[in-house]
Amino acid sequence: MEEILSKFFEISKDPYTQVSKWKEKNEKKVVGVYPMWIPEEIVHASGMLPVVLWRGDEPVTIGHAHVPPFNCGITRSFTDDALREKLKFLDGMIFYRMCLQEISLEFIMEHNAQPKPEYIGYFYFPAVFDRNPALKEFLIDELQDFKRDMENLNGIEITNESLKKSIQIYNKNKEILRNLYELRRNSSGKIKAKEVQAIVHSSMLLPKEDHTRMMEELLPQLEKRKAATNGKIKVILTGALCQTVQGDLLDLIEDLGMEVVDDDMYVGSRYFALDANVNGDPIQALADRYMEDEPVCPTKGEWAKNWGEHLIDVVKQNKADGVISLLIKFCPPHLCWYPAVREKLAEEGIPHTMIEVEHEVTSLDPVRTRLEAFTEMIKGGI
Amino acid sequence: MAKEYRQNRLETTRNMGPLVDKHWADLRAAKEKGQKVAWSAGPAFLLPYAMGMKCHFMAGYAAYCGGRKAADQVIEAAESGGDLIDTCSYHKLHTGMFYAVKEGIPIREDVILPIPDLMISARLCPEQSHYGESLAQRFNVRVAGIDFPIPRKKEDTPKIEKFVVKQHKEVLIPLLEEICGKPFDYDEMRRILKVEKEACLIRNECWEFMKRKPATWTLWDYGVSIAPIFYMMGNPAGIEYYKKLKAELEERASKNIPAILPDGERFRIMWDGWLPWAFLGIFIRKLIPNGVIPICGRYPWEFFPHPEMIDPDADDIIENWVHQWYGGQNIMWHDFPGGALELIEELIEDYSIDGIIFFTSKTCRAWLAHPDLMHIAERKFGIPGVLIDADMVDSRMVSEAQIDSRLQAFIERMDAMKRR
Repeated sequence: MEEILSKFFEISKDPYTQVSKWKEKNEKKVVGVYPMWIPEEIVHASGMLPVVLWRGDEPVTIGHAHVPPFNCGITRSFTDDALREKLKFLDGMIFYRMCLQEISLEFIMEHNAQPKPEYIGYFYFPAVFDRNPALKEFLIDELQDFKRDMENLNGIEITNESLKKSIQIYNKNKEILRNLYELRRNSSGKIKAKEVQAIVHSSMLLPKEDHTRMMEELLPQLEKRKAATNGKIKVILTGALCQTVQGDLLDLIEDLGMEVVDDDMYVGSRYFALDANVNGDPIQALADRYMEDEPVCPTKGEWAKNWGEHLIDVVKQNKADGVISLLIKFCPPHLCWYPAVREKLAEEGIPHTMIEVEHEVTSLDPVRTRLEAFTEMIKGGI
Repeated sequence: MAKEYRQNRLETTRNMGPLVDKHWADLRAAKEKGQKVAWSAGPAFLLPYAMGMKCHFMAGYAAYCGGRKAADQVIEAAESGGDLIDTCSYHKLHTGMFYAVKEGIPIREDVILPIPDLMISARLCPEQSHYGESLAQRFNVRVAGIDFPIPRKKEDTPKIEKFVVKQHKEVLIPLLEEICGKPFDYDEMRRILKVEKEACLIRNECWEFMKRKPATWTLWDYGVSIAPIFYMMGNPAGIEYYKKLKAELEERASKNIPAILPDGERFRIMWDGWLPWAFLGIFIRKLIPNGVIPICGRYPWEFFPHPEMIDPDADDIIENWVHQWYGGQNIMWHDFPGGALELIEELIEDYSIDGIIFFTSKTCRAWLAHPDLMHIAERKFGIPGVLIDADMVDSRMVSEAQIDSRLQAFIERMDAMKRR
């Protein structure tokens, strides 16, 4: 068990080595997809390895000549990595219209990536709004274009059957990650938040088949793991919409007597929340998944549902005591939604605090103070 | 003794204050008169206008509120309601307004907006759909969304244009018909565009005076004059305003009277980014004593209708309207950095530009890849640039010390290049 967990930590901490070694060994192309909604299954069906692009651990250096310091951590860190030849194993990079900061990356990569990958793609995945037919029709056209580009990049035709097979492989991995969360939910204190993040992050970097195999080995062992003492404060983490958060921060939350029983983060439950239907037309199935309204995604133009209501459901499902919003500094979708979420949780009487997560963390002391106050507030109410 | 440059303000622009005041006062009074009110993020406000609704326009309101020095007050109201300092300040002007009205927080009377019956979110930038989300979720406002993708490549334009037309016809028009209880008024839309075309044709003639050396007016003068051809679209007063402006510019040109005294500008610059509505005075007071005038910019040049493309008698007026954004000059393409470079090159040539200020907002990332555009423009066109990071309306984001030191270096570079 410890060996598999160590492997996941190793992959998550150093994706550069992991992915480049995989490429060398397998002699296949690797395509980096920007979080959060590019369907990796299409890349997989074309015989390439899709990896979800990530925020590195190092401070941003030359990247700041291209992306201002008031942009979010992942856009700055990713740009920095690409300029410092740290992503030279990527044969392709794919972006879409998630947020303004991401939109500019396509141009920055075209002009500055070292080396420039063979393929840089950009897709106009639309907002979901009221899910009118025009949006869906446009989305399907975009997915078809994406499919054609992947076929051209690797010279392999993507058939309905091969795409359905990839969807099945991805669905299976999602299912096993959901099992992991179920175990965490039902077995207090068995799995640390940092471990969960490393596991999910590894799924974004490894071939799904390999990750699923490792998880099949790991899960039974985790079930047997001795649980920590009960009686801790149960919290839900939300936010961190497209990137990992520092492991030290997750440790700090737990060190202060809180237990993360579930989350609502991208490198977390959001990544595996939705399967695509394996019956029928696979492109249609991927479009249907994009159009889903749960979990509420603040980047897609959703106004029929409130993100806060989704969180209330997660809190109730887990009998949690409170919610911690991990707001990535300079993340507009989260910034804009934050007051609505805060209001909704307050209306429901759910204790809530917000931590701004910087890319370059200089000290966790202010965060500690804030979290201590949060735990006191909850204890006072319990 | 160093030459003393000073501003030579146009008489015509003094007429703008009463015109915009009346526009916003009419909007404030609309509800009391039983009129339906919409708010619009993005350019779709023309459609509610055609239905006889009163409609605000996001950036126009920001310009007005910023110009009236009331933005800080509204932003403070937004933050008292939970918004954070890094959130788009235009967004906060709207959540702040709503929160202030709802909670009874005192706001200056002349910038208050009526609570809308409909919010139209035209998603040119993802942020513009966030306005819709906030108003729908926090204040229960009905929202209509139109996705307005910015083309990454020119060849992508036709499919995007078709998509945007479809949304206008299948989403926005039926909703407006439902809210107003009557069929969409295509004739009124044609009338508005006819007036708009006439005003814009005169405006384009006025732009020609900026190409002149010395220039007879500046980008700041144009910034003050934008309202009639944008959010006051369809108001015949706009035509009269531009006729007066043109006459004044012609007179100046005939007498060789420049935009700055005593004898015109030393450096002509392009301004790339939003106009700093609340700080126009601060910037112009720093630029003019150095003989520097802002002459043109991607913002006003790209964002506003090209009159030659307006055809009020077009068979399909909706298609013609959307085509103004994606066809011909392809305003939307100029938003993407690749298209931006094309327009920057054109403007440098047409307006004899000596340098470019890239004005980057700390709360709005809509001006994509500014640092790269600056480096490329320097390399490709030999034009020095400077990045100023501040905000359009939030005074906490504006550091005069930063502006001073960067402008000084920028002016020295333009000077050195001119001496070569």
